[in-house]
Amino acid sequence: MSILDQRRLIESIHPFELLNASVLDDLMQKIDIAYYPKDTLLISRTIASVAFYIIIKGSVVEILDDEITNVYSEGDSFDANALIYNKSESKFIVQEDLICYEIKKPDFLLLMQDKRVQSYFLQDFVTRHKQLKEYDAKSDFSPFLMAKIQDMFLHKACIVDGNISIFDAVSLQEEMGAKVILVEDDAKYFVVSDTNLKKDVLLGDVHVRDKISKIAKNEVISIDVNDFLFNALLLMTKYEIKRVVVMDDAKVVGILEQLDLLSFFANHSHIVAVRIDKANSVDELKDVTQSLNNLITTLRAKGVKFRYIAKLVATLNEKIYLKLFNMTLDEELQKQCCLIVMGSEGREEQTLKTDQDNALIIKDGLDKDMFVNPMMLLNQYLLELGFPKCEGDVMVSNEFWRKSAKEYKTQISTWANSMQESELQNLSIFLDAKCVAGDESLLKEVNEYLYSHFHSRDDILAHMAVAVLNFETPLTLFSSFVIQKEHDNKLNLKKGGLFALVHGVRTLSLEYEIDTSNTVDRIKELNNKGVFDKNFATELLESFDTMSGMRIRANEIDPNELSKVQKDLLKDSFKVVNKFKKFLSFHFHLNMVS
Amino acid sequence: MFFHFFKKKQIGFDEVVVFDTETTGLNPKKDDILSIGAVKIKNNKIITSQTFELFVKYEKEINHESIKIHKIRPVDLVDAIDIDKAIELFLDFIGDLPLVGYYLEFDVAMINKYVKPKLGYKLKNKQIEVSEIYYDREIKFIPQGNIDLRFDTILKKCEVPNMGAHNAVNDAIMTAMIYLKLIK
Repeated sequence: MSILDQRRLIESIHPFELLNASVLDDLMQKIDIAYYPKDTLLISRTIASVAFYIIIKGSVVEILDDEITNVYSEGDSFDANALIYNKSESKFIVQEDLICYEIKKPDFLLLMQDKRVQSYFLQDFVTRHKQLKEYDAKSDFSPFLMAKIQDMFLHKACIVDGNISIFDAVSLQEEMGAKVILVEDDAKYFVVSDTNLKKDVLLGDVHVRDKISKIAKNEVISIDVNDFLFNALLLMTKYEIKRVVVMDDAKVVGILEQLDLLSFFANHSHIVAVRIDKANSVDELKDVTQSLNNLITTLRAKGVKFRYIAKLVATLNEKIYLKLFNMTLDEELQKQCCLIVMGSEGREEQTLKTDQDNALIIKDGLDKDMFVNPMMLLNQYLLELGFPKCEGDVMVSNEFWRKSAKEYKTQISTWANSMQESELQNLSIFLDAKCVAGDESLLKEVNEYLYSHFHSRDDILAHMAVAVLNFETPLTLFSSFVIQKEHDNKLNLKKGGLFALVHGVRTLSLEYEIDTSNTVDRIKELNNKGVFDKNFATELLESFDTMSGMRIRANEIDPNELSKVQKDLLKDSFKVVNKFKKFLSFHFHLNMVS
Repeated sequence: MFFHFFKKKQIGFDEVVVFDTETTGLNPKKDDILSIGAVKIKNNKIITSQTFELFVKYEKEINHESIKIHKIRPVDLVDAIDIDKAIELFLDFIGDLPLVGYYLEFDVAMINKYVKPKLGYKLKNKQIEVSEIYYDREIKFIPQGNIDLRFDTILKKCEVPNMGAHNAVNDAIMTAMIYLKLIK
C-alpha cells in the first residue's frame, strides 16, 4: 500500500529509523508532498523555514556568503537548524525541480521530543560523524562474515565404494593426497579418518583386507557450497571436528579444512615480518613482498581501519628498506649515512605501493662516490621488489637526492629563497622525511637547520600554503545533475580533499617546527600547541580518516555508487576541508599571495 | 511566506482532486470497482496527509488476470465496504473540486455507473486529463510526431519517481506529481 511505500522511504533515512512504529505511523499522517520548480528560494535570512524537507527527487543547494556549502539530493533532508533556531544564515535554493516530503514545523519539533532524533540533529559535526560511521559499519555486514564457502580453497575428496578393501581405499587416498576417505553408501557419505584407521586397524582387530564400510561409522557433517564461512566455523566448533564436507546439491565438491579456515581469518603480519628479517637474498624478499600484498588485501577485505593498515605497511616496508640497506652497503659505510623515505611513505600513509620517494644523507667530509654503486644497486633491488619508479626521479639513484648534510643545508637555503613551484614541491617532499636506516642523527641535524631557516618566514610559508587552493573542493559533485553535465561521473579524493588537508597540515608543521611526518600525529601536535582547538582537530582527524579509508578502494570514486551514509560522511569531510582552507587563507593571508 | 516563481502557464485552480480506480476489467458496462484512491492538491502541495483510500466489497469471483495487474486479492477485501457507501464517501471527499487523472474518462465512467442510478445525474465536476496537458506540451516540440502517452513514459519524461506498486493511491500520487510538473 502506498502509505507503506512512503513509510519505507522515510524509514530508510537516518535518524528516522530510530522512531518507534507508533510515532512513525503518526508522522505518516502529517506528511505532504510538495513541488517546487527550479530556482525557488525556500529558506533565507528573511524567509523563515516552515517545514522540514525530505527530497524525493531533484536537488537543492545551500549557499552561504555566495559560496555553495552543501548540496542536497535524493534521500537528503534539510534543514533542522533553521527550524530549531528559527533562523538561517544560508540560502536554500532549488537547483533542479524539486519533489519533496514536507514535515510541518510544529510536527517536526514534536518529533524532536525523541531524544535520539534530537541528539542527532543537535549534535556537533564530530559526534554526528561518528554516529554516521557507526551506522555505516552496522548496516554493512563485515566482509569477514560475508565470505562464502565457495571463496575458499577446498581439498579434493577421496570418495570410495563401501565394498572395496581398506587397503585399496587408503592407497587411493594416498594417491590423491586426500586427508580423509569418504565412503559412499546409498547416497549417504561416511567418513574414515586417520584416527579411525589407527583405532580400528592398527590397534583394533579389523584387517586391511576387510571392507572399508566396516570402519566407516560416522556420517559426514556437511555444509552447502553457498553457505557462509562462519557457519562452517560454527559447525566445526559445535561438533569439535577438523573438517566439513562441502556439498553442492547432493554432490560432494570438496573438503574444507579447519586449518585453511583459520588461516583465512588469521592475521599473518608477524609471519611476514619474521620472513623479512630472515631473508638472505632479494629473491627471498620477493616472495615476502608478495605475501605482504596478500596481507593488505585480506586486511582491507576484513574492514580494518586505514590508519592501522598504513602503520603496518610502513613498519614492514621499513624492514625491507633496512634489509636492502644492509645488503648493499658495507658495515662501515652504514654508519656514515642516513637512508630516508619521503612523501606518503615518509608520512606512513601508504597502503598500496606508491612511487618510491627516497634519498640519502651522507656525513660531511666523506667521499660521496663510495655510495654511488651501492645506491644504484639499492634502487635496482627496490624496483625488482615492485616498488614503482618515481616519476620525478626522487630516488637515491639520482645524484640530487644523494647529498652530504652540508649540501642539504645549502639546498634548504635555496628552497627558502625560491618562490618556484618545482622547488617548493621538492621542499614539500623533503618535509615528510623519515629515517629508515643508518644514522638518524644526520636527518635530525638537517631538520634543525630546516626549522631555524624557516622561522618567521611567513612569505615563503604562504607561498607553500597557497597550493591548497589549487583544487576546488568538489561539493557540487554530489548533485547528480552537475556530475553528468560537467564531469566524468568521478570525484578525485586526493585532489578534492586529501591534498589540501595533508599539505596544509604539513605547512603548519613547518611553521610550528613539529618534528613528525605523520599527518595524524601532526594534527595532534598542532592541537597541543594551540593552533587548532580540540574540536577542529577532531574534525580534521575524522575527515582525514574517512577520505583515506575510502581512498584505499580507489582514488576516483563515483558518488552515485556510494551508499547514502557514505555520501553523507564524505560530504561532511569535504565541508571540514573547506573550513580548513578558510582557516589557512586567514592564517597565511593567502588572499595577498598571487 | 514562500516565493514561488511560477513562470509557466498556470491552470487556474487552487485546489483539485487527483483520483484513480482499480477495477475488475476495462469495460465500464460489465466491470466493477475494487478500490478508489485519491489525493488533493492545494497550490503546489499534494496533501498526502489526507489520502483517500477505499476497498469495495465484491460479491463475484475476481478475474485472475486482473489480479495480476491491481494485486488486489479476495483476502484484501475483508475490510472492504459496500459500493454505495464507497461512492457516498468519495463524493463527500471530492465535493465540487475539479478532477484530475490519467485516462480520467474511464475512471469517471466507472464512478458514474453507480452515481447515475443513485442520484439521477452524472458527475458535474470539471475534468482535467494529464495526458492531454502532456500532449499539448510535447506537440509543440515535435509538431508532426507521435506522442507516446503511456503512463510510464510520461512519468519518465516528467522525471517523476516511479513509486513501484500500482495501486489506486500510488497511481493518484504519481499522477498528481505529473500534474504539478506539467502546470507549474
